[in-house]
Amino acid sequence: MGERSSPEIISKVRKEIGADKGVARQYVGYVSLLLRGEMGRSYYTNREVLDDIMTKFPNTLMLALGAMVIAVPPGILFGLIAALKKGRVADRIISAFSISLLSVPVFWSGLLLMLLFGLVLKLLPPSGTGGLRYMLLPAITLSLPALATIARVTRVSVLDVVDMPFIRTARAKGIASSRINAVHILKNALIPVVTVIGLDFASYLNGAVLTETIFGWDGIGRFTMEGIIKRDYPVIMGCIIVGTTLFVLSNLVVDILYYYIDPRVRIHGTDR
Amino acid sequence: MGLTGKISALFIVSIFLISVFSPFLVNKDPDAIDLDSLRMPPSLGHPLGTDNKGRDILTRVIYGGRISISVSVMAALLSMGIGLLVGLSSGYAGGKVDTVFMGVVDLVLSFPSLLLAIGVSVLFPPGIYTVMIALSSVGWASFARLIRGQVLMLKESPYIESARAIGCNNWRIVFVHLLPQCMPLALVMTGLRLGGYILTESALSFLGLGAQPPTATWGSMISANRAYINSAPWMVLSPGIMIAATALCFNLLGDSLRERYGINREGRAG
Repeated sequence: MGERSSPEIISKVRKEIGADKGVARQYVGYVSLLLRGEMGRSYYTNREVLDDIMTKFPNTLMLALGAMVIAVPPGILFGLIAALKKGRVADRIISAFSISLLSVPVFWSGLLLMLLFGLVLKLLPPSGTGGLRYMLLPAITLSLPALATIARVTRVSVLDVVDMPFIRTARAKGIASSRINAVHILKNALIPVVTVIGLDFASYLNGAVLTETIFGWDGIGRFTMEGIIKRDYPVIMGCIIVGTTLFVLSNLVVDILYYYIDPRVRIHGTDR
Repeated sequence: MGLTGKISALFIVSIFLISVFSPFLVNKDPDAIDLDSLRMPPSLGHPLGTDNKGRDILTRVIYGGRISISVSVMAALLSMGIGLLVGLSSGYAGGKVDTVFMGVVDLVLSFPSLLLAIGVSVLFPPGIYTVMIALSSVGWASFARLIRGQVLMLKESPYIESARAIGCNNWRIVFVHLLPQCMPLALVMTGLRLGGYILTESALSFLGLGAQPPTATWGSMISANRAYINSAPWMVLSPGIMIAATALCFNLLGDSLRERYGINREGRAG
């Protein structure tokens, strides 16, 4: 429908999409359709929004998983080292490194990685959707701030645990310090870390809007962004609803995970 | 405050001064198009090079900083203001008011923040006020929760009890006796979070939701020039360095303040 459409056509289309009814009626209509899994069609492509989200979601999921695989092991390791060497050179280097990573905007670090590995060294494709080679750069870009957050949280959490009496007991019993670090300290320090990992993962599932846009990764984030630029409201609404639902669900999964990681949660749980 | 804290503070102060006095420091027009010098690499005449339309990048970075920093600071103060109002009423009134307000706070915090900010900015025409509204509509919630906690603690203290005993009404207790006690905490938390505001502001500008061309902001300079990253990387490098350096200094300053005053992330003394 163009700008010069006749009033008859405008009123016909308004009737067709239900815009002639009141706002309340429209809202009820939208929610009842939504409950039946109907999110409407894109104004531009006239394709079902839900279908598009379903085809793009695996890409987003893959990217989110890839980023977490890259971020979690070094994040926990660096955090542990920083805490065990508190105040010494290693700690200072890791802390400086992680706070710098947190201060760099991802759309800029992404562009720099693209320039270095994609355009200057030509090791990886600079952008596009596809297999592992295409995924590597956006996944690394996403993983950097996550790695830094995980390292910082692990450091604080390990420092909390190190001073606890049961660690002193373990040392007094003569358990090897490598075993104390790996088993006694880390296991108890992991709970806040799991929370952070869950939150990061949840926000990546929403589509890393910036990273996906830069690298032309065909996921939910780029879909949302295209919808926003074109003011394609069914697409924006659909993406935000699906994204928020995923976000809340992943928070729930994290809460359930506590039950398995932390015996204290289990004991308090049975009290009620 | 350690050395890093001092250096960061110095950097932040100089950035502020440069932003305030920029018209006196540079004599070029940030939006002046010069088609004879497109995409020139850094030189004496243009220390940071020129962009796709021949505009001087140094001038644009300085003028862009004015917008990026003032929008972030205004948004942070606005979040603080809303957070103070909601937190004070929620904590002092308790009961149903508290339940409703904290429900809304939980709702806001359960959204992924960048997505919520983008969603809010779509509702208004793009521009700096839209970015301020978007940033503060996401940011106020954590302030509100923090202030509520503080008020719950203060509410039981003897001086509030005495104020009530000598017949102060609720308005007077909240605004004369409670508000000043919450201000230091609120201001420190505003400072701690400015780094995050700078990053989100630049992200929204990058996505084209902020100040519109030809006005420069750090984020929009990166998005406008990113197509030329291979042939003219200087156009993207300098605004990015400024975002990262400013955010880093705010974060470092925040860390050293936090260490010094023993405030943890949630703002409670610990």
